[in-house]
Amino acid sequence: MTSDPTVVTKDAPEPRGPYVHARQHGGLVYVTAQIGRDPKTGDFVEGGFEAEFQQAIDNLEAILKAAGSSLDRVVKAQIEFVDERDLDAMNRIYGERFHDPLPARTSFGVAFLWKGAKVQIDCIAALD
Amino acid sequence: MSSHRGVVSRHGPQPTGSYPHAHVHGGMVWVTAQAGRDPGDGELVPGGIAGQLSQAIDNLEAILEDCASSLDRVVRTQIMYTDPDDADQIDALCARRFHAPLPVRTTWGVKFLAAEPGSEVVRVQIDCVAELR
Repeated sequence: MTSDPTVVTKDAPEPRGPYVHARQHGGLVYVTAQIGRDPKTGDFVEGGFEAEFQQAIDNLEAILKAAGSSLDRVVKAQIEFVDERDLDAMNRIYGERFHDPLPARTSFGVAFLWKGAKVQIDCIAALD
Repeated sequence: MSSHRGVVSRHGPQPTGSYPHAHVHGGMVWVTAQAGRDPGDGELVPGGIAGQLSQAIDNLEAILEDCASSLDRVVRTQIMYTDPDDADQIDALCARRFHAPLPVRTTWGVKFLAAEPGSEVVRVQIDCVAELR
């Protein structure tokens, strides 16, 4: 740990707890799960599931950029969402935002997310 | 596969299934999710969410130390919990136990974690991936 492995950027919502936006190790960057909060206000964006998921991916993208990576270098993505009726919208938006080479993915329904968030997404990405 | 090593620590609650406490590979240690179980008797500790999470992090820390790692080398944590009202306490407790350089984190609410014989239920569990010393 000769240099700081952690990344926090103003272009994503400020961490609301004891964690950083991203942490680098071994050629990979690990990113904290992002929800649909506006980076400027910290509030949830309006517009329901689709708006929240788009914003969450925007936040993920901003963090990856700050960490020296990008969406097209994501190795693995993980998505949690609350309402199974949002599955089709999740898949459609995900398909619009992620392109070849597509990452591996795990997604699942959960009982609840922080402060009523409808969806969140994290990832592990390559730095090279 | 000689670079892979499963680790069962004397200092964590003994695994109750087909898994070790941790798996070491490639300069990293992957730690099995820990609940608030006493390492001595495996029983869930009292004290609600605070007691359980504190013990779970104690267990995580003991396992990490046995694997030549530590809490400040944790790269990523995942926390699963059963009551949305516990979120603030979880943050407060993690803030007391994790220090810079902080890890990244993913948390979510689950329907249940483990069935217990008594009235207490497992309310939280935490796993991690960490760098080795």
